[in-house]
Amino acid sequence: MSAIDPNARINLSKAHVLLVDGSQHSVDVLAQIMKGFGVAEVQRCTSVDEAERCVRTKVYDLIVIDPNISDSAGYGFLNGLRHSGGAANAYTPVILVSGHACASDVSRARDTGANFFVTKPITPNVLLQRILWVARDKRPFVEVGNYVGPDRRFKFEGPPDGSDGRRESDLKSPLGNADEPNMSQSEIDTLMKPQRVAI
Amino acid sequence: MSVVRKFMPEVRLKSLLGEPGGLTAQAALGRAADNLESIRETCLAAIDAKIELLTHAASVQSAENMKRIYRISNEVFAEAGAFELDELSAIAHSLCSLVVAAEHAKVPHAAIAVHVDAMRALRHAQVAPNKAARGAVLAGLRGLTARITKG
Repeated sequence: MSAIDPNARINLSKAHVLLVDGSQHSVDVLAQIMKGFGVAEVQRCTSVDEAERCVRTKVYDLIVIDPNISDSAGYGFLNGLRHSGGAANAYTPVILVSGHACASDVSRARDTGANFFVTKPITPNVLLQRILWVARDKRPFVEVGNYVGPDRRFKFEGPPDGSDGRRESDLKSPLGNADEPNMSQSEIDTLMKPQRVAI
Repeated sequence: MSVVRKFMPEVRLKSLLGEPGGLTAQAALGRAADNLESIRETCLAAIDAKIELLTHAASVQSAENMKRIYRISNEVFAEAGAFELDELSAIAHSLCSLVVAAEHAKVPHAAIAVHVDAMRALRHAQVAPNKAARGAVLAGLRGLTARITKG
């Protein structure tokens, strides 16, 4: 996750954000941060029922929810949202913010259609980074089987610098220089041009 | 074979963010920090109330109370962390892990009680503002927990 350029401009003065957390104080923390970012309207909910009523009546530009609210009902909320048949908020970016989390929570978040999973404690810097990331995310939405949400496969750009990679197909050594001269344009044209073949 | 439909929904958030006007990221982060500061005292009072609830819940051993302890300590973990009470947040996180571990293995109840005691100590008027004292409470808790869970 790249650091935020302090001089970059952000404009959330027309954004409507829904915040859902079982703890009133946690939702207040999120709301204060969002207001600091200049968000036009911040709707706070401390129950999934309340949040469901909100998404039925208003379009949001971002939803931030603790998935573990009311015995993990937040996952059900997100799943329902993604399967709402193209309803107004079906494709709204959703950031899950979870407290004490284990690996299965992250997998569940991914498989429920979240755009991003963030662990608490929340700081303004982390939240702004994630909002910018979600807004600029170029992944398409996918509907397959029971899954509706952002494509779970991120672009593969090769192993990290300085590592040999873990895949069979990862090259273990540098490619080095070509040992033959490049093909000429006419040779390439010959390969590309349809040829009449006598049989 | 599953049918896959791929599409690019319109993300209004992206176009809004790029509209003229707004704030610099630095100003937005500064305002958010100031806003958080404005609710610090209220939230710290709520954290203290939650530690009291933990004390009551930890005094009686039951499955219901373990669920309650997990929920409340999870809230303390998040809220203390948001206000940079790092030691308190770390202890609350450790308590959550302990409750999860207790679902699969025998965890002495004393280990839970000692976590709650450490939280209370961290919020004591003489300890809360003193970084060295807070560090000592955290180190003491880690030592005690290791002894209790081994024994």
